Amino acid sequence: MIPVAVSGDRAASPWLRRLRFLAAVLRARPAFALGYAIVIGVILIALLAPWIVPYGPMVADPNVYLLPPGPRHLLGTDGTGMDILSRVLSAPRVDLTIAVLGTLISAGIGSCIGAIVGYYEGERTWRRAVSTAVMRAADVLQAFPVFVFAIALVAVFGQSLHSIIIAIAFVNTPIYLRLMRTQVLAIRRYRYIEAAYVAGASDLSILARHVIPNAIAPALAQLSVNIGWAILLTAGLSFVGAGVVAPTPEWGSMIAMGFQNVVTGQWWPSVFPGIALGLTVFGFALVGASVEVLADPVRRRVLSGTLG
Amino acid sequence: MRETFGRSANLSRRSLLKAGSGAAAGALLPSALPTNPAAAATPGTLVVAAPATPQSLDSNFDVSLGTFEAVAALYDNLLEFKKIPDPKVPGAFREDIADHPDKPGGVNVQGKLAESFELDPNGTWIRFQLRKGVKSNWGNELTAEDVKWTWDRKFGLKAIGGFYLSTLGLEKPEGVKVEGPYTVSINLDHPNPLLVKLQPNLYAPIYDSKKCKEVATADDPWARHFIENNSAGFGPYRLDQLQRGQQAVFKARPDYYLGKPAMDTVIFREVPTSATRAALLQGGAVDIAQYLQPLEIVRLRNQQGVKIDSVDASFMIWLELNSKIAPFDNVKVRQAMNFAFPQEQVLKTVFQGLGEPLHGCMPNIYAGYTDKFWTYNYDPERARALLKDAGFPSGFKTSLAYNAGDPVQEPIAILYQTALRAIGVDLQLKKVPAATFYDAVSQRKQPMIFYVDSPWCPDVGYSMTLYFNSQSFIDYSNYKNDEVDRLLRDTARTADQAARLEMMTKAQQIVMSEAPWVFIAFPGYHFAHRAGLEGFTYYTSNNIRFQDFHRAA
Repeated sequence: MIPVAVSGDRAASPWLRRLRFLAAVLRARPAFALGYAIVIGVILIALLAPWIVPYGPMVADPNVYLLPPGPRHLLGTDGTGMDILSRVLSAPRVDLTIAVLGTLISAGIGSCIGAIVGYYEGERTWRRAVSTAVMRAADVLQAFPVFVFAIALVAVFGQSLHSIIIAIAFVNTPIYLRLMRTQVLAIRRYRYIEAAYVAGASDLSILARHVIPNAIAPALAQLSVNIGWAILLTAGLSFVGAGVVAPTPEWGSMIAMGFQNVVTGQWWPSVFPGIALGLTVFGFALVGASVEVLADPVRRRVLSGTLG
Repeated sequence: MRETFGRSANLSRRSLLKAGSGAAAGALLPSALPTNPAAAATPGTLVVAAPATPQSLDSNFDVSLGTFEAVAALYDNLLEFKKIPDPKVPGAFREDIADHPDKPGGVNVQGKLAESFELDPNGTWIRFQLRKGVKSNWGNELTAEDVKWTWDRKFGLKAIGGFYLSTLGLEKPEGVKVEGPYTVSINLDHPNPLLVKLQPNLYAPIYDSKKCKEVATADDPWARHFIENNSAGFGPYRLDQLQRGQQAVFKARPDYYLGKPAMDTVIFREVPTSATRAALLQGGAVDIAQYLQPLEIVRLRNQQGVKIDSVDASFMIWLELNSKIAPFDNVKVRQAMNFAFPQEQVLKTVFQGLGEPLHGCMPNIYAGYTDKFWTYNYDPERARALLKDAGFPSGFKTSLAYNAGDPVQEPIAILYQTALRAIGVDLQLKKVPAATFYDAVSQRKQPMIFYVDSPWCPDVGYSMTLYFNSQSFIDYSNYKNDEVDRLLRDTARTADQAARLEMMTKAQQIVMSEAPWVFIAFPGYHFAHRAGLEGFTYYTSNNIRFQDFHRAA
């Protein structure tokens, strides 16, 4: 009994310490707390939407079109009589899915390619030519305006969720590629890499076991920020008609459907999804900022110091 | 029969307008002085906010929105319909398109470039006497050769011109004969009821052949390049500037044969968003805002300084049900789709009550229209029963393509989607960019697609032929019925209007019962302008003509 209790205590204490540290950080930087609250809230809404929405998000009821916010429809209704609250709450399911999947795919592919390119850069072999070619290709990709490029991709692949995810993955991949490459360029000169090489480890195992785990932190910090961007990009694509298929509840397409009504005085169909979109992107940006601080040992130490 | 026209009425109206515009200057300036640079700052300047500038100025090829206005300003036709006051809107005018059995061709027309015409009572030939001394914007005098060259160009280039040739049944260029310097005739092998009615058509203008021949080259014998970007016509305006995507500027011609128009300069600005056009009109920065959304029109109606003239129009909006794509090859399914369409609610919500229900298959303002075959009031039970009879008791899945550039189509599609869900039909919506929408329509590969159109020629046979003749290039629903085809062919070959009307009533009955469309609405024509701008005239081509306008005294 006693050894078990001791081991349990030992296992719990670092967790507790971490939690206490996190709580202290959040107290010191309330903005971070706000970010986490928003992101967790949006994720919860996305998960629970089907059970919490008052009306079907895709059911048009022409008897109640363009009703202002009121007791029956808290955020009002749009031009076809769809309930805006139900649609605003259902939208994160689409927006988050697209943004998270698109970002994860780009992070996965970009980081792997970036690691390989960085690892072999400078060698005088054919691999160097490949590295150079990949980097120049990434330059070309990044030279295009992201939005225009995404529209072109959706036009090529057709208008569907898959296409938007592919488009987002595609335009974000070079970001992770560069991030990873820069990290790997520095790491590969370290002694422990040389030691692994001398010990006879293959390139692949060095990359997988020693390089990538040590280089991944900035890419992880980038994830949250990128999810925010991806949500914006999705909304932007839907706004110009290249995004999700109507009447799928999606913030960008809701803004697009309602923005012409703002001039005629019906502001609610587009303002509420706009606020939801802004808040969500803001939340992810704050989370990104916190990850950046916490993942950087120096800044983390400074923060710990201020926490006292 | 012979019809001769005077010009005094026109001239006196012009001179009145000029006097009026001069007097308007002082009154208008203080309130109309806008902050926008493209503004109606001077009384002789007309500023129009339009969804698009003309892509091309060649009526043989281009049917974009701005092109209509440009062609109407730059060119004149041989004849025009006489104008009558609009019965609904005081101060507005419209073409007299009613049947006039006592007049040649059964229509109430007057001369523009033609001074008079003679018509064969059987409808196989028409002879025009041209006005003398009419000058083009290049200073060349109008002669019979210009009319001949204009028709030869249609033969040479086909395209839209080819459509006019086939509509008239004009098979060879020799059918158009120069009979003297100012006399020209059109001669057909078979009688045609449209010999007169087609002359005022917006896309039947006369070119200055002398100028066109000057600029033609061996590679471009019909001056396509020149006419695309410039004009050679006898109309009241000349093109001053065309910056596609930005603006077109037109200048009134002082040497116009009917007198210089009251609006000296017309600035035709491209403002793609209708909300912006509405805001510009409300702020007084423009005189006219075209193609506004129903909600904007309703709101602007109550604004001071803005006036909306809502008139009955030839516009129709409907869904093409592709008769060659299952399950719309089944008449019962097509009927069910109509019974399931919440027409009344769509009119109330999307159109804000501004339109009228489409209860027929041609414009209700044209002689020969009937709504007595309308049976499709909203009835989901009936729709469900028809689907069951057709072998789809649990519904089916299909798609509806709509134009991203037309703000009314998406809400209609969403309302219809919800209504169809009730009878088990799963409707997927496909948003098609405005730029490629007409390709999608003309390819006829969508099971269902929106279409908005109007037959410009106010004739029952012409209208029905456009959409329901299986040979028609705009039979976009792939509709084919041998009896309807026969009736349409016979209607096109006789000048006996009573017989034509009888045949077309029968054709309407068949079409309505076979429902190749989902019938939506007559959206009407809503002309939004600053109060004080007068002279608005409605044309069946649904465009404005700058020469009609003047400012109130």
